[in-house]
Amino acid sequence: MSSLLSVKNMSINFDTPRGSLEAVRGVDIEIPAGTSVGVVGESGSGKTVMCRAAMGLLQGSNVKRSGTVIFDGHELTAMSKEEVRNLFGSGMAMIFQDPMTALNPVRRIGSQLSEGLRVRLGMSKADALVRSKELLELVRIPNAAAILKSFPYQLSGGMRQRVMIAIAIACNPKLLFADEPTTALDVTVQAQILQLLRELREDLKMSMVLVTHDLGVVAGNTDYVAVMYAGEIVEYAPTTKLFADMRMPYTEALLDSIPKIDHKSGTRLAMIAGRLPDPTDRGAGCSFAPRCKYAQEKCHKEHPELKKDPDGHLYRCWFPIGVAK
Amino acid sequence: MRKFTKPTWLAIGWLGLMMFFSLFGWLLPLKSWSFVYEDDLEVGLFSSGHLLGTDSNGYDLLSSVVAGTRMSIFIAIAAVGLGGLIGSVLGIFAAYLRGKVDTVMVTVFNVGLSVPNLVLALALVSVLATNLDINQAVPTWRRVIVLVISLTIVLIPILGRIARGATLSWTSREFVTAARSMGMKDSKIILRHIVPNVLPALIAVAFLAVGVVIIAEASLSILGVGIPDGASWGGMIARGRNDLEYAPHVLYVPIVFLALTVISTNHLGDVVRSKLDSREAKV
Repeated sequence: MSSLLSVKNMSINFDTPRGSLEAVRGVDIEIPAGTSVGVVGESGSGKTVMCRAAMGLLQGSNVKRSGTVIFDGHELTAMSKEEVRNLFGSGMAMIFQDPMTALNPVRRIGSQLSEGLRVRLGMSKADALVRSKELLELVRIPNAAAILKSFPYQLSGGMRQRVMIAIAIACNPKLLFADEPTTALDVTVQAQILQLLRELREDLKMSMVLVTHDLGVVAGNTDYVAVMYAGEIVEYAPTTKLFADMRMPYTEALLDSIPKIDHKSGTRLAMIAGRLPDPTDRGAGCSFAPRCKYAQEKCHKEHPELKKDPDGHLYRCWFPIGVAK
Repeated sequence: MRKFTKPTWLAIGWLGLMMFFSLFGWLLPLKSWSFVYEDDLEVGLFSSGHLLGTDSNGYDLLSSVVAGTRMSIFIAIAAVGLGGLIGSVLGIFAAYLRGKVDTVMVTVFNVGLSVPNLVLALALVSVLATNLDINQAVPTWRRVIVLVISLTIVLIPILGRIARGATLSWTSREFVTAARSMGMKDSKIILRHIVPNVLPALIAVAFLAVGVVIIAEASLSILGVGIPDGASWGGMIARGRNDLEYAPHVLYVPIVFLALTVISTNHLGDVVRSKLDSREAKV
């Protein structure tokens, strides 16, 4: 299967007063066409930065990007800003984390939604508004005509997230980056939004990168999962395989920290002790070693390379779980 | 939203009256503001024929103050309009582009702000609005233009900084990144996403700036480099200051007009700002 997006050896550094901050370190990831790939990791592990960098949305003089990004046969990292821009909307689109800030507060939903259609697809104002109404209906917003005339503050969080999704899918993108689309929403709305994304993906034949810190969200909605830690991909496998037969101690620790329904009440919640390493000062060994219960001397001294099982399961660990020594 | 308090209505009413005076004051059945009524020197307030009295030269104060409104308001609106336009364009671009452009612009603004407003305006006016031949009078229109230009220069850094600050905070919002991810051009993003959000903050400060400019123009006139011959409020104060001891109303008439106008603009600026805050809170 050909890959729609392929990121090779991408690193992102931010220059900060405290030194160079390595947000993403040498990430390789392939998104096969027509699949959904989950990116999981705790806060600050570089998930969002990786997605934005892949689209080239990081701006500012303090950002340094290296590596290559190839989307649908175009090498984005070698193209001009203008050329990359032409791929936005109809090629790639992004759903943002916080529906509260991702809509312009002083403009009506209709004008924000139809903007992309007019700019990217060259529709007339009237056509764009008709299409906007259809899009709102597609994301199951009742009374679409009235919502087109509302301002963002008049809508609830779930409604705004639906509007965000409508904006993102407006130009029929091939690849949709969903950057924690459900983090700001409560659990019932979360389920609806995920259901909606799943259906839209099937109807419109989109590929999707689903960024989340919730393994539960990944389980039912993705074909592959990439686990990120401290700016690196530490494990990559088909979703069912990852849950059944994980290699990384970090993935195991993440799964263990999800409360189970059969836990006795009063049981202490499992957690991963410690916190992410300082992004301006990455140590020599495995980034997860200080928090890993299986860590040995080698883990603290040498940085593990990405290893590959015969079935394509990737992991970055000296002493992986379930592998005979 | 439509509900205003009484002081706000008063401020709107007063500024409306001032706008009416400056636009249509010449249509009112008033005495000539430049005619010397030799028989009515220094008559008091509410005397027959001269509602607000006359000064020691015999100028009718009511018609003078109405005529002065036109000059003072014109200078204020022209300077704030030009300064706001130039300042906000510079500020918005600086904040949107960041990097070197921003550094240069901030330095320029800071240098502009570090010179006291009145001194800067004084220097500009006295250099630009003088003739080499000191016996030849400088025409009033030239003085007005120079005054507007120098007050504009004073305002550019003030309004530019406001625009820059507002742009910085709005540019870092997610919806700007979202617009970019939809393939919008930078020019469109500035026009459609940044400007509508920056505008309210600018309008609030522009109201305050109108007050500042009216006072600055008056100060310059009192110092002798503003509008001569009592053709503005400041000019009237300058001409009437010698009468303070025996005919104080000559001074009080323009001062009351000036004070009420400045209080009104400041109040409206505050109202706009508080509306802005409540709207922000809802976002």
